[in-house]
Amino acid sequence: MNATTRLALAGLSRSPGRTLTRILVLAVATALLGAMILFIGNSLQTMASGAVRSVPLDWQGPALSYSEAQRISGAVARQPGISQSSATATAPLAGAISTGAAGVTRSGGGSVLAVPPRYLSQIKTFRLLQGTLRPGQVVLDQQMAATLQARIGGTVRLQPARGARPVSYKVSGVAIVTAPDTLFQPLNPVVGPAPAQPPANIAILSLRTFAKTYAPSLRNITPANVGSNVQPGAQTGVQWQVQVQLYPGPLSSGSPTAAFKLADQTRNRVERSLPGQIQFVDNLSDGLNTAAADSLFAIALYIMLALPGALIALGLAYLAALGTVERDRRDLALLRAHGATRRDLLSMAGIESTVIGLLAGLFGAGLAFVAVSAVVTGGVGLTVTRIAVTAAACVALAIGGAAAARIGASLSVLRASVADSRRTGRREGKPLWQRLYLDWIALSISGLIYWLTASTGFSAVVNPDSNPTLSLSVYMFFAPALLWIGATLLLVRLRARGIAWLADRASGTSFDSGKRFLLASVARRGPAINRGLVVVGLLLAFGVNLGIFSATYNQQSSIDAQLTLGADIAVAAPPGVVGSKHLASRIAAVPGVRSTTALDHSYAYIGPDLQDTYGIDTSNFAGATTLRDSYFLGDSAASAIAKLSSTPDGILVGRETITDYSLNTGDLLRLRVLDRSTGRFHVVPFHVVGVVQEFPSAPKDSFMVTNLNYLQTVSHGTGPNVVFAKTAGTPSTIGQAVAAATRVDGTVVKNIDQQGRVTASSITTVNLSGISRIEQLFAILLAAGAMGLFVSLGVAERKHEFATMAALGAPLRQVASFLWSEVALVLIAGLALAAGLGFLLSEMLVAMLQHAFDPPPDALAIPWMFLGALAGAAILGGLFSTALAMRQLRRLPLGSILREQ
Amino acid sequence: MTPASATSGHLGSTENLTVTHGSDQTRIDALSDVSLSIEPGDCIALWGRSGSGKTTLLHALGGLVGPTSGTVWRHGEPLSSLDAAARGEARAGGIAYVFQGANLLPYFTSFENVAFAAAQRRRAGESIAKRAEEMLGLVGLLPKLESLPAELSGGEAQRVAIARALAQDPDLLLCDEPTGHLDSDTGTRVLDLILRLREEFGFALVIATHDAAVAARCDRTIELNDGRIASGGLGK
Repeated sequence: MNATTRLALAGLSRSPGRTLTRILVLAVATALLGAMILFIGNSLQTMASGAVRSVPLDWQGPALSYSEAQRISGAVARQPGISQSSATATAPLAGAISTGAAGVTRSGGGSVLAVPPRYLSQIKTFRLLQGTLRPGQVVLDQQMAATLQARIGGTVRLQPARGARPVSYKVSGVAIVTAPDTLFQPLNPVVGPAPAQPPANIAILSLRTFAKTYAPSLRNITPANVGSNVQPGAQTGVQWQVQVQLYPGPLSSGSPTAAFKLADQTRNRVERSLPGQIQFVDNLSDGLNTAAADSLFAIALYIMLALPGALIALGLAYLAALGTVERDRRDLALLRAHGATRRDLLSMAGIESTVIGLLAGLFGAGLAFVAVSAVVTGGVGLTVTRIAVTAAACVALAIGGAAAARIGASLSVLRASVADSRRTGRREGKPLWQRLYLDWIALSISGLIYWLTASTGFSAVVNPDSNPTLSLSVYMFFAPALLWIGATLLLVRLRARGIAWLADRASGTSFDSGKRFLLASVARRGPAINRGLVVVGLLLAFGVNLGIFSATYNQQSSIDAQLTLGADIAVAAPPGVVGSKHLASRIAAVPGVRSTTALDHSYAYIGPDLQDTYGIDTSNFAGATTLRDSYFLGDSAASAIAKLSSTPDGILVGRETITDYSLNTGDLLRLRVLDRSTGRFHVVPFHVVGVVQEFPSAPKDSFMVTNLNYLQTVSHGTGPNVVFAKTAGTPSTIGQAVAAATRVDGTVVKNIDQQGRVTASSITTVNLSGISRIEQLFAILLAAGAMGLFVSLGVAERKHEFATMAALGAPLRQVASFLWSEVALVLIAGLALAAGLGFLLSEMLVAMLQHAFDPPPDALAIPWMFLGALAGAAILGGLFSTALAMRQLRRLPLGSILREQ
Repeated sequence: MTPASATSGHLGSTENLTVTHGSDQTRIDALSDVSLSIEPGDCIALWGRSGSGKTTLLHALGGLVGPTSGTVWRHGEPLSSLDAAARGEARAGGIAYVFQGANLLPYFTSFENVAFAAAQRRRAGESIAKRAEEMLGLVGLLPKLESLPAELSGGEAQRVAIARALAQDPDLLLCDEPTGHLDSDTGTRVLDLILRLREEFGFALVIATHDAAVAARCDRTIELNDGRIASGGLGK
């Protein structure tokens, strides 16, 4: 160990308190960064695994024949990464007849799915409710079974096409088909996934039985006529296909982008290995592409929210190191006076920084692991790579932060003379940036950019191309960044001017109260106060911005999730069940359910466009969900529902439809509505009563809302098929109770909590609650810590000065007032900066991300409890540390301090 | 050894004063069994080499350092048994220091440094500002009223320190190597100034110094060696 290293280590061990403070502050700062890395990594992995899980069927490749489908399926199954490869088929169903105890019952058209044995081992496109699939027999979708009143053991006759001879099958089971839109979509690999309107009736046969008994009546679908099955009932032939599921493990281990690339590469490899034989419609990549785009949006959000926090935390670490700079300067100046070279001083600073950084980085990484594990439900799934990356980043940041401050101090010693660097209390000049008015310039440019960007529309857009990218206008980031810089500089300028003004006014007054001494001190300690003010103020502003934005985001997330799901709890039921089993009233009886409403979700043609149609019960609909005035154009929610209620054949249509078909309120609108009794669409008259642009559970565009009774009458339906419930408690818990109470009826129950995690819209997909909880926790701790650090550093820096005051006979109260005054100044100015800057930044951020908010927020949500905790932490931190400092001042060893020169 | 009753009536005195620093293995006896008395108008040099206990003795006389054993008296009151606040009041009541490195308050101007000291012992009806100006005038630094300590030379800073001490209207001025950081010419001028002011104001002066020439200019010299009085203890 050479002399420089020994000297550096001796310096650290000689002042254990100072060294420990620097390590702790750096550790907390790096922990924030570490927590960010862990959370983002975990969040991306969760998004990837969620996207992989949400795809029921990864690939579908059309084949020309049964034998070819089987051959290709076998070849694909042998490829690495393939979990399951099955030859399957879909075919049209012209109609079905059931003969049982209830007599002869008929159903309309639909589709047939043919699958091999063990099909359900990895592919989850349907699940059996009763019985099983046997060779030579049929499994009916529950809706078809209900329509035909068919039971296991009964016989149904399926007619493949009009004029074709029906084929009889014994019913061996009842199933619920969970992914009909994917299963029966037209398979055109060039076009890609195109989820189709689900068929009303679905029968499932074993593949061998299908090939022998059903397929011979139909022609095979070829690439030339693939698009013919795009509408329900339009498929005219047999679509032989190879369905493939990949191993989810490798896809779920990284980010959605990595999973997307892996899935794409696997598909290309499989297709290349079977040239000209198979091309897949890639449902998985489609889902992952959306998730990858969402993940980019998430990263952008996390960075915008978390990066300022990490930078400010680093500033706090810098403050910790700079706080001792005067003492370091004196030490270094003494060393220099004793002959130490510049290289020696820099080496010593480097060694000190490395030791402090290493310890702080490792401690910070550990702190990050603990914080994230405690805050994120289910933990963060630590891997060796993630641990290594986090620890390395924390150590690098800590060493960098420690070195920046320490070497900065060393450089100032090297530049100044030995005598100069031993002096403190220089007169504060006007810095260059103040002379150049950089604060005002930054604020003006920020405002200008914001105005320009707002006036031309913000353009944060996710491009869902093959390589997802996030199109963000670079200018957008300049506005908040310049606002941060400008507001901070302005605060520093105002602090200096304000104190100078006060000092000027006080200069004519007497010394009786001691205020003049306080003002003189505060006025000349600008750099020291500014350091505390900037770090504390920015830290609080970061906390305010984080709190307001997160609260607004969560509020809009909840609104968006409710709009997507329809209500706190949405229950989908098989046809006829809602009415016959009194589902709405039974759900209303479940504890925690406040109110329910039943509605019918079906489809109707307006011209050539098929649109979602909702039949609602106007008497209780508004009570079971949330209707906002912004959902309707030209009417309030209450008025629109009242108009619908007073017009039996009334209908609310979308704005696009109004425009496209030149409609006005009161116009007659003829729709083609599915007649459940015949399975055919027929024309029904409606009258337009209003315009709707958003509606619970409705898609973003092209939908209609009408009266439930009228819709039931004209469609000869079996009653509502959906129940909405409003809860008075935790939706997920109550949802489980509802599911338990209605499981026997074959219901699918969703709640708003789970909806927030699976819905496809960006705002609800990206879960900010974890990272904002972590950052809020850090913000509160750092706010208290920053004030404590400011006070303790003030005492450390001014110990000699305070001892001199005491030697002159100044009472402790007067000495302490020099601390109190600075703490009060930093707190008041910091809180003022936080309130103004934090609010402005939140406004700006919400405006910049307005495309993600659907509907946009009416006003920012203010998390008073968090803001109170944040301000309270800063105030209590200041009070507590000042009280401790007074205790320290009371016990100052005056003799030994005054000996120090 | 003089009984306490014999020393308690002086301007200041110590009785069997012992001050130790550290504990056990690191224990250092800074002062051992030191007894001395200071009468009004005395001019005493505490003479000895570095580490002999001069500064510790000065600090003990002003209550900046507490004794390990023994007593420090001030106007017949046991200064060393008072709490920190009361010792501060006692200093404000007439004990002033001039430190080796001036120890000016770094964020105050010369004027404010002196005014701050004057404010600690303010007489009824007296203007602090006026007194501060007067004191700075006495040391010839009126042109430097608004200068910060960092803007003063070593000699100027020490003269401000002297003005600051005078502003407290002391009856006992304790100077710790007041010329130690100065060149010989400046040092001589500063010493001349202190002695002249003692003549003018009549306060008792105790100067800690390792310089025999400085000690020679005082009326009485107490030699300290390893924390003990080697010569010139009680009495002239």
